Amino acid sequence: MIAYGARRLAIALVVAWLALTLAFVALRWVPGDAVDATLGRAGLEDAELDARRDELGFNDPVWRQYLVYLGGLVRGDWGESLVSGQPVRDILAQNLGPTAVLAISALIVAAALGLALGVVASLARARMVRAGAQAVISLALSTPVYWTATLAIFLFSAQWGLLPGPGGRGLRYLVLPMCVLGFHTAGSIAQVTASSVREAAGRAFVRTARAKGLPPVPDVVEHILRVGLLPVIAVVALQLGFLLSGTVITEMIFVRRGLGRVLLQAVNNRDYPVIQGVVVLSAVVYSLANALADVLSALADPRVTGGEG
Amino acid sequence: MTRSPIQRAPPVTLLAAGLLGVLLLAAVLAPRLAPHDPRHAVPEDQLQSPSAAHPFGTDYLGRDVFSRVLFGGRRTLGMALLAAGVTLLPGLAVGVVAGAGKHAAGPGPWLDAGLMVVMDALLAFPHLLLALVMVALLGSGTTQIALAVGVAGLPAYARVTRAAVIEGLARPHLIGARAIGAGWGGVVWRHVLPGIAPTLLAFAGVTLSWAILNSAALTFLGYGGDISAPDWGVMLADGRAVYRVAPWVVIAPGAALSLTVLAINLLLNGSRR
Repeated sequence: MIAYGARRLAIALVVAWLALTLAFVALRWVPGDAVDATLGRAGLEDAELDARRDELGFNDPVWRQYLVYLGGLVRGDWGESLVSGQPVRDILAQNLGPTAVLAISALIVAAALGLALGVVASLARARMVRAGAQAVISLALSTPVYWTATLAIFLFSAQWGLLPGPGGRGLRYLVLPMCVLGFHTAGSIAQVTASSVREAAGRAFVRTARAKGLPPVPDVVEHILRVGLLPVIAVVALQLGFLLSGTVITEMIFVRRGLGRVLLQAVNNRDYPVIQGVVVLSAVVYSLANALADVLSALADPRVTGGEG
Repeated sequence: MTRSPIQRAPPVTLLAAGLLGVLLLAAVLAPRLAPHDPRHAVPEDQLQSPSAAHPFGTDYLGRDVFSRVLFGGRRTLGMALLAAGVTLLPGLAVGVVAGAGKHAAGPGPWLDAGLMVVMDALLAFPHLLLALVMVALLGSGTTQIALAVGVAGLPAYARVTRAAVIEGLARPHLIGARAIGAGWGGVVWRHVLPGIAPTLLAFAGVTLSWAILNSAALTFLGYGGDISAPDWGVMLADGRAVYRVAPWVVIAPGAALSLTVLAINLLLNGSRR
């Protein structure tokens, strides 16, 4: 098991390295480099621009820039913002916290809501209740975050005055964005939960439990959930990718500080070192989350590791 | 008496198919159906609530929201279809070559490994984030968005295709076919692809609904180029300043977007049964 985990972790790191290489190459490919995009607009002379390029190393061959960049990454030097001159590492460090708080709280909402919806959609006795849960799941999967967020602000903040609208800090301001993002993430968790629980409910040991005369609630349901919920653990970990995308839009609509807004600003300013920093960070986090999902699946079902246990 | 697939389909699926048909038709026929020019601003008519003249009301420039939703469907769905095309064709090609190469002789396994390494590196970026970075590289515009969203969806489609091809090739009669000397290309083309077509088609549907949500997300974020163009994402972004007094400006385009994706998802659920 430990060997499998280590191997999976190594693969994740290799994938993250490939991803950052890909990002590096792609961002160097752009017609008109970052100096043109950011400083050229400021009306500087060509000679000055060229001097700045020299200083930033943009005139070096790409392979050398790449090695310099990699070396910097390892030493914790992630470059500087072309706009503010602030070290990218500091920008990331200052904004990682708020994004992590939003993403993790949304993930908790999503896991709770997703599991509940999935179990109800698959096991509820009344057909109408099952259909109702399924409808909520479909809604969560089909509506875009940028619409429900707007509607949620309109209803809960502008109309009913229950919660503060966008733009503040503190716990009360976290509730709406957390719930909106969590609701959408819950959709796919619920879908996997429902189909996995349905499958478990049809297995032979459940029939045996019923035949023995165990009461349906809670005993038979417990039998079903013990097996049916195992695959869901991995799906919850996999949602991190969706959450990382979702925070970009959520942070913008709710005017929250965080990596999402940093990325949007950097994209608008063509601030390549910052874009690259955010992208590399999220690729690393996402690869690690995928590895974690695989390891959790393996823990739940030893067959995944090929029986090494 | 045998019943046709349409008669056997659950009512929800039929409803979804009908809804999708209506939405597509509305997008195609927008120039004939729209009561007003979607770009025509009438300042004295701004932010009117829904009425007979303006079924979905007017926006902050006095433009007819109903006409903008109709034309917006054209732009948004057109962009998403282009994006889905950008995902499907190369995704299919990469998946088939890698899947067939995995157990082939010669350079096949190397080709498979190489292609999958690139796909895995692309998969390491969350979907919308990858599209966003591509837009940063390519610049704003609908074609750029379609390209970015399409490429962002490519690795997942290639992976699904590859897995399906590998599974298809492992079926006993195809192992037999290869044993008696049938060529790889022929076996994949004649026997594997028809068998896995339902899987590929279903995932194409998933790809299309991602493409719709993500292309509209990018126009919502302001990367669609033409800011006065009728577009569901742009309309939602425009409406953010005024929805507190005029909720219809965001309800109509958001509902159109959600209903389209919902119809696709319900059709997919129906076809899985």
